[in-house]
Amino acid sequence: MSVQRALNSLGVVFFPAFDWAITPTHPERQERLLYTMDQLKEEGVFDIPGITEHKPDVATLDDIRRTHFCFPDTGSNLTSSHLISAGGAIKAGKLVMQGSEDKAFALVRPPGHHAMKVVHGGRGFCNVNIEAIMVEYLREFHGVGRVAIVDTDCHHGDGTQDIYWHDPETLYISLHQDGRTLFPGSGFPGEIGGPKARGRTINIPLPPNTSDEGFLAVMDNVVVPVLEHFKPDLIVNSAGQDNHFTDPITNMRFSAQGYAALNTRLNPDIAVLEGGYSIQGALPYVNLGIVLAMAGLDYSHVKEPDYDPARLRQEQRISDYVKRISEVGLKNYFTPPHSEVSQDKQDGYFVRSKEVFYDTAFITERQREFLLDCNHCPGLLKIETSSSKIRNCLALEIPRGACERCLQEGERLFEESKSNERFSNIQLINRPVGGTQRYRTDHHGQ
Amino acid sequence: MLLGIDVGGTHTDAVLLDTDGLVDSAKVVTNHEDLLSSIRAALEAILKDRGSIDLERFNLSTTLCTNAIVQDELVDVGVLVSAGPGIDPGFYRIGRNYAVIPGGLDHRGTEVRPLDRERAGQAVDDFLDQGLRVFAVVNKFSPRNPSHEKQLAELLEGRSEFMTLGHSLSGQLNFPRRIATAYYNSAVWPIFNGFANSVQQCLEELGLSPQLNILKADGGTMPFEQARLTPVESIFSGPAASIMGITAMCDISEDALLLDIGGTTTDVAVFADGDPLIEAESIELDHRPTLVRAMKTKSIGLGGDSCLTVQDGQLGIGPKRLGACLAQGGPAPTLVDALNSAKCFAYGDTDASDKGMEDLGGRLGLSCEGMSWQVIQAFCRRIKEDAWEMLREINERPVYTVHEFLEYRKVAPKRIYLMGGPAEVLAPYISREFGLPAVVPDNFAVANALGAAVARPTHQAELFADTEKRTMSIPVLEIFREVPASYTLDQAKEEVKGHLREHMAEKYHMTIPDEEAQIIEESEMSMVKDIYAVGKDIRVKCQVKPGITPEYQRVVKCLCKEL
Repeated sequence: MSVQRALNSLGVVFFPAFDWAITPTHPERQERLLYTMDQLKEEGVFDIPGITEHKPDVATLDDIRRTHFCFPDTGSNLTSSHLISAGGAIKAGKLVMQGSEDKAFALVRPPGHHAMKVVHGGRGFCNVNIEAIMVEYLREFHGVGRVAIVDTDCHHGDGTQDIYWHDPETLYISLHQDGRTLFPGSGFPGEIGGPKARGRTINIPLPPNTSDEGFLAVMDNVVVPVLEHFKPDLIVNSAGQDNHFTDPITNMRFSAQGYAALNTRLNPDIAVLEGGYSIQGALPYVNLGIVLAMAGLDYSHVKEPDYDPARLRQEQRISDYVKRISEVGLKNYFTPPHSEVSQDKQDGYFVRSKEVFYDTAFITERQREFLLDCNHCPGLLKIETSSSKIRNCLALEIPRGACERCLQEGERLFEESKSNERFSNIQLINRPVGGTQRYRTDHHGQ
Repeated sequence: MLLGIDVGGTHTDAVLLDTDGLVDSAKVVTNHEDLLSSIRAALEAILKDRGSIDLERFNLSTTLCTNAIVQDELVDVGVLVSAGPGIDPGFYRIGRNYAVIPGGLDHRGTEVRPLDRERAGQAVDDFLDQGLRVFAVVNKFSPRNPSHEKQLAELLEGRSEFMTLGHSLSGQLNFPRRIATAYYNSAVWPIFNGFANSVQQCLEELGLSPQLNILKADGGTMPFEQARLTPVESIFSGPAASIMGITAMCDISEDALLLDIGGTTTDVAVFADGDPLIEAESIELDHRPTLVRAMKTKSIGLGGDSCLTVQDGQLGIGPKRLGACLAQGGPAPTLVDALNSAKCFAYGDTDASDKGMEDLGGRLGLSCEGMSWQVIQAFCRRIKEDAWEMLREINERPVYTVHEFLEYRKVAPKRIYLMGGPAEVLAPYISREFGLPAVVPDNFAVANALGAAVARPTHQAELFADTEKRTMSIPVLEIFREVPASYTLDQAKEEVKGHLREHMAEKYHMTIPDEEAQIIEESEMSMVKDIYAVGKDIRVKCQVKPGITPEYQRVVKCLCKEL
C-alpha cells in the first residue's frame, strides 16, 4: 500500500466561520466545523495529491438578487458570513465549471436550504439559499442548463423546493425525515412541482430510524434511475449531515459509511454542506467520508468510534415502507399525476396562496403567487407578499427562455407597479435580459 | 566572535564576524564524500595566520541530512503507528518496517480504543529480532493526547538506541506528516549523531570551544544537543541561510521579494513587513510532506546557465543546463551570453557569445543584439510571472473567520532584493519588469555563511486547552497538565509564552525578551452540549521568529549597498 492519489481531482472550499453564530449556544454555531477541521487536518486530507483546499469567493448582492427577492432590501437580510458562505458555494461551482477541479465540496456555513425565493428573514437557520445562488450564478456566467439538486439533509429543503417549484430545468429530489415528525413539516410525496414543472420536484419522506440500508435503497431505486433519465448538466448534493445516528435534533440512523456510499452512488459534481449538528460524533467522520468518496478514494476505515451496524439496522417495516415510498417517488417523476397539482386559475394565471413562518427571525409572511399559464415558456411569475415586518411587496420573475409575451408583460407590470403605488418594494428578475431591477416607494409602506 | 559555515552543493562558505563587522571569509569546494573535511578546510582557511581566536559561537548549516535522505543512506527504522477511525494508516507506510497497532484516539484526544499492548509488544519484539535499533512512534491525534505514544515508548525503553515520538515534533495536526517526519528524524539520527561527534572533536583539535548550533530550514538555529534529538530539522537549511544573510545585510522592513539567481534555478523568497515568510507545512522529502518548518521559497527553473533554444519559431530558456555559457567555452548559449551581446557587461570570451547569439537570432530573423535583448526580457518576464503566481497563492491562503476574511492583508512587495551571479547586471531589467526598485546587496556572495553566523534560535509551541476535560497541553515542550474550568485564553497566552521562554533559556541558552515570544494564532470557542456551554476550546500558537543576533545586527547592515 502506498500514498493514495485522488481519482477525481477535488476542490474543498472550507470556511468554518469560527467567529459567527446565530446565538452562542445555537446548534448552528462557531464550534460546528471545529472538529471537522481537526479531523481533516490530522488526516492530512489536503496533502493527498488531487485534493486541494480553496478560499471562498464572496458573493455580491447582485448574486443574491439573481436568486432571491429580499424585502425590504437585500443587505438587511444577511451578514458578511452569508455572503462568504454563498461565495463558497459559487467558488465550488466555478472550480468545476472552469475545469480546475473535477469535483468540488463547499464545506461552508451558515447553510441555506430553507431560504425560499422570497426572503423576509431567517428560517431554519438559513437566510439565503447558497446552492440556488450558486446554480443561478453558473447559469448566468457558465452556460449551465439542466441541474439536479439532490438534498440529503434530514430536514426537507423547503427553500430549494420553493425556488425551483416552477422550473422544469431544475430537478429537485429531497430525501428527509417524514414531515409529520420534523421541521419544517413539509416534503410530502404529493409535492411534485408547479403546473409547468410537474415531476421536477420529488420528495421521499423517510420514517424515523431509517438507516444506511434505507437511504441507499432510495438512491438505487429512485435517485439513480431518475438522474439517468433527466440527464442534468450538473448534479449538486445538498449535503446535510443530520441524518446521522448521533444527531441531537433528528431521529435517523445514517452513518459516515452510509453518507460516503451515498456520494459514491450519486457521484455529484458539487456538494454543498447544509445541516448536521452532531459536531463531534458525526461531522468529522461524515465530512471525511464525503471528501474521500468524492475524490474516489478508499473510505472503508472511516467509521465513528461508536459505529455498530448491527445496532443501527433498520426494522423490516421500515424497509417495506421505504420500498413503497420509493415506488411513489419513481412514479411521480416518470408519470407525474395531474391530480396532485393545483390548477386554480385567475385571469390566465395559476394562483396559490401560502403562509410562511420565519422561525429564526419570528416573522410571518403571507404570499399570493401567480404564474402566467403560457404555452411557449415556463411563464411569468408574480408574487405579492406581505409580512409582519413589511407590507405589499411585489416580486416579478421573467424566466429563462421566456417568450416575447411573458417578457413584455413582466417589464410592463414592473413599470406599471412603480407608478400605481400599490407596492412598497418591487423587484424584477429579468433572466432573458440578465440582471435585476429594484424599486422602492419610500413614502409608502413601513 | 561568531563563525558561520554553510556547506552547500558546490561550495562551502565560511565567515568570521566580530562586533565591528566582517573579519574574514573563505570558500572551499565541497567534498560530498566527506563533509567534515570541507568544514575542516573552511575552518583552517579562516584560522590560517590567525593563531587562536576567541570564538563565542559557531553556527553550521549543512546538507548532511538532506543528502542522506536524497541519496537514501538511511538506517532502518522500526515504525509503530496506531490510528483509530479515519483513513487507513496502511496508506502511510514508510520504510521497510511499519507496524499498525490497534488503538485509537479521537479529535479531542479521547481514547476510543485502548492500545493493544499485546500486539504492540509483539511488534516491538519482531523489530528487535530483526536487529532494528532506532524507532519512530506515532499515533493519530497524539498532540491532543500522547498516552498511546508513551505506552509504546515504554515498551521500547532501554531496548532502543533512539526513538522519535510524534508529539514531540510539532503540535500541528497532520498524522501522515507526523509519521514521515518522525521516520526521517530517526532514519538520519545515527548519521547526524556521528557527524556531530566528529565536528565537536575537530573543533577541540583546533583548540576551539564555541557554543555549537545547527541551522534549521526556518532560518533559526538549534544547539547541537537539541539537534541530536531532532536532526530532521536541519534539512534544507541552505536557502534559509541565504535569506537570513540578506535579512541581516539589508534593512528590510516592508513587503519584499528576494530573488537568488543561480546557475540553473532562481529561488524566490517573500518578506512580509520585513520578516521572511515561514511555512509550517512545506518541505517534502521523497514525495512525503513533513512537518518541518521552513522558509517559504519557490524554485523557478531559470538561471544564468539555463541553455537557450529556438524551437518552432519560439525562444526557450532552460530548464536544462548543458554546461557553462559560450563565453566560458560551454556548448550552448545562455543568459550570460545574451548579457554579453547586449553589452550589459563583458564576461569571458565575448566573441563566442556574439557568435552564439547571432546564430540564435538568425533563426528568429533577429540581429545579435535584438536577440539578446529579447532573451533578457523573456527571462525577466518569466521570473516575474512565476513570482506573482507564488504571491497569488500566498494571498489566496484560506482563512477561517469572517474577520480574517474581511481584514485580510495581502502581501504586496515594494522592493526586490537580488543576489547571485548575474544579479547586478540584471537588476535594472528586473526592476523595470516588476515596476519596483531593485536592490543588490554588496557581499551577497557570503550571504549564506553570514546568515548562518548571525541567525538566532527559533522555536514554535502550540498550546491546546479543553476546559471541559480540564486539560492543557503544549506537546512539543512535553507539558501536559490539569487546568481549572475557569482557565482563560489570556492565561493560556501567558503560559505558552512563559514555557517557551523558559525552554529557550534552559535548552537554547538564550534569553528571549517577552515581546519576542509572539502569539501568532489564538482562538477560544465555547463547547456546547445540548444547549448549554460546557467548556472552552482554547488554542494558542506561539513562536520565536527568525532573527539576527542583536549585537551583530548593526555591523552587518553596513555591508548592504543600495544601487
